[in-house]
Amino acid sequence: MVDHKAILTERVLGGLNRRDLMKGLGAGAIIAAGAGLSTRAKAAGGEIRLAWVDHIDTLDPHFTGFLGAVKVHNNIYNGLLKVEYDGERVSFVPDLAETWDVLDEKVHVFKLKPNVKFHDGTPCDAEAVKWSVERVWKGEPKSPHAWKFKALEKVEVVDPLTVRLIFSRPYAFLPVALTGSTGRAGTIVSPTAVQKHGANFGRNPVGTGPFKFVSWRENDSIVLEKNADYFEPGLPKLDKVTILIMKEASAAIAAVMSGQVDGMSDSPVQFIPQLKANPNLQVLGEIEGNYVYIAMNCKKGPFADINLRRAVAFALNREQIIRQAFFGQGIPAYTPISPPMTDFYDKNIAESGRGQRFDLAKAKEHRAKSETKGVIEPIFVVTEEGTYGTRLAQTVLPMLAQIDIKPKLQLVERANWVSRRNSGDFDMFDFNWWADLDPDETLFPEFRTGQAWNYPGWSNARFDACVDEAQIVLDVEKRKALYNEACDIIMDEAPIAITSHMPVFKIFAKKVKGFKYIPVDSLNLHTVSLA
Amino acid sequence: MAWFAARKVLQTLMVLLIVSVASFSLLKLAPGDPVQLMLGSEYSPEAHASLMAQLGLDRPVAEQYLRWLGGFLVGDWGTSFISKAPIFQYAFMEALPVTLTLAASALALAVLIGVPLGVLSATRKDTGWDAAVATLTLTGTSFPSFYLGILLIWIFGVKLALFPTLGFVAPWNDLWGGIVHMTLPAITLSTYFLAMIVRLTRANLIEALEQPYIAAARARGEPRWRVVWVHGLRNVMLPLVTILGLQLGALLQGAVLTETVFSLPGVGQMMTSAVLNREYGVVQAGVMMTACLFVLTNLAVDLAYPYLDPRLRPR
Repeated sequence: MVDHKAILTERVLGGLNRRDLMKGLGAGAIIAAGAGLSTRAKAAGGEIRLAWVDHIDTLDPHFTGFLGAVKVHNNIYNGLLKVEYDGERVSFVPDLAETWDVLDEKVHVFKLKPNVKFHDGTPCDAEAVKWSVERVWKGEPKSPHAWKFKALEKVEVVDPLTVRLIFSRPYAFLPVALTGSTGRAGTIVSPTAVQKHGANFGRNPVGTGPFKFVSWRENDSIVLEKNADYFEPGLPKLDKVTILIMKEASAAIAAVMSGQVDGMSDSPVQFIPQLKANPNLQVLGEIEGNYVYIAMNCKKGPFADINLRRAVAFALNREQIIRQAFFGQGIPAYTPISPPMTDFYDKNIAESGRGQRFDLAKAKEHRAKSETKGVIEPIFVVTEEGTYGTRLAQTVLPMLAQIDIKPKLQLVERANWVSRRNSGDFDMFDFNWWADLDPDETLFPEFRTGQAWNYPGWSNARFDACVDEAQIVLDVEKRKALYNEACDIIMDEAPIAITSHMPVFKIFAKKVKGFKYIPVDSLNLHTVSLA
Repeated sequence: MAWFAARKVLQTLMVLLIVSVASFSLLKLAPGDPVQLMLGSEYSPEAHASLMAQLGLDRPVAEQYLRWLGGFLVGDWGTSFISKAPIFQYAFMEALPVTLTLAASALALAVLIGVPLGVLSATRKDTGWDAAVATLTLTGTSFPSFYLGILLIWIFGVKLALFPTLGFVAPWNDLWGGIVHMTLPAITLSTYFLAMIVRLTRANLIEALEQPYIAAARARGEPRWRVVWVHGLRNVMLPLVTILGLQLGALLQGAVLTETVFSLPGVGQMMTSAVLNREYGVVQAGVMMTACLFVLTNLAVDLAYPYLDPRLRPR
């Protein structure tokens, strides 16, 4: 952090030295910020201070529902597997495991790394892994991630360092489920610590990760310190991590621009051009595994009519939405499959003719075929969304007006919005799914008949068959064909009008080195150092 | 006298009880529940039902209230639903000192600047000084605090890098750090009161200076500063203290915005996020603390009168 005490003292004393004062006042941001940065006391590994603008609910990985928290977890815990990214391909590699063998399609054997210890000194062995997996699978209270182990039949300890997971059927999503990041179900926690702290484990987290938990002050900060016994040689490089919980993004922007913090966990899109232009900052971000969409109620109201939904899907000018609502950040989405799903995403999808796209003539054609004639005024429920606020809803209004749909925007606060979305009390709403790495998590829970996240209430038997089969087929080409078919069905029947895939940003000061970017909205500080 | 005091205490307790019932029911009436929010992207009806039961939120509202009240009275304020923050520690030990420090600094700043400016205006009534002070303070008051806060951050935090713009440093641990961290927030919050204090001081002082005892003091040959600052100002104190006591509510409202802009982990931020997340226990704790603060402030104002005005002293 900038040593304001030093700067202020210097300024006050230096008031006598007129030239310095003139320079300080006149030269503005760059010199002032630079001077601020240089006054920081440097230790060997140092402390990184990061502004966290997204929500942290709990530090218990088996009970979280928020990516803002998972970003922290990844620095405290490890998974059986982890996500790797080489700039081209996303892959899943052993993390706590040394090797991962698939005996037949249903039996997975993990040989663990020897001598790995939890932060409380207890060993991370096969028993601990078994205990952790079972906590998610069938523990009480029930983990919200239990569904990821629905097909699990048995967890066996073969020897102190070997554990075997036996499933009732092949399970294509398993690699994602077992990562300590987006999957969460495969995060390994210390059994001793969970038994000791019970429901309060989320405030006293103990894992195997590069950083140990020190303290958490509500609404203020979370502090982590270096785990000197971390199993990856030479890591971590930092001594201390201070996470400053900042609700107000513009305050975080000011802090990062003035050098008071070394980075930001995310940023609303409207600030990105300003941050990129700042010579002291590096802005990292690529298109990630997500999609933004407008959902329509397929069960009741005007959008039960498939032609009206198709009309909406054709009426949205995606390029214009990206320009106006997202400040140029993002790419048009044609189907829910997003670029980081490298085995499944079609790089030439724009030219393929598949998926949803803007075509006003077709929109009008479908509108003419719909049952409702004349102007309709459906209820569009909106809430303030983190990265783009209410701008998507506002931007599409004139586009929909062209096909005589004039939605009434109802701006409600989040708790109310979630409750209305979950109970189907809407005609339209806008939303996004974030940090997906496999088409299964992008399609199955969101659109299969009767699944928990199928808020539009859409149902299609052929789609269900495709996504069911794709869960148990491990052959990538076969899965890809099934998912393409599933996507074609859903994009045609349009329970949602999909708009875009978004980049997710991490902002760091230039002196932050060695950060490895992974397109799953993670902020792993293992390799990070301060220059 | 004892009976009078007992009745006063009883009244106060009734007020607090009514406040607690009202805030509990209001929050329960608001649509949405904490569990749906907690589950975030992991929502399913089964997970929802199981978590509601775990947290006791499936019980009748009256039972939930009585459980809360029982715990609250014996000092067991519970933990927040999902992050399991111990509420007493969070609300009383961590958040409250931040807000009190902010409020006290802002108030002190407003009085230290506002009273002299008011005196200046009153003694130089209808001159350029008077107009300048009025213009300056009204401009300050007219700035919404979130805008002024961001403006100050931009100029003094980012451009000049003179002051930190985030976080709280307890002045009792590090006096200088505390002052530096509190300067911009205190300025932001004080502007609202500044104009009020200036106008109040000015009006009352002008009136006081026309009283016979002032003329008498002058006739005795007392120096002008003594006439104004001792004899005159003494009579301004009474209305000033009354108004400041009554303005505590506005001060806490302003603190919400100021805390958000400057990332101060105080009661304001605690309450906004607790209301948005339907953290019933945290909201109740915040409401009760604020209500007690009101009651205590009013009591303090009552107790201060006899010191400020000898005529009110019991004979």
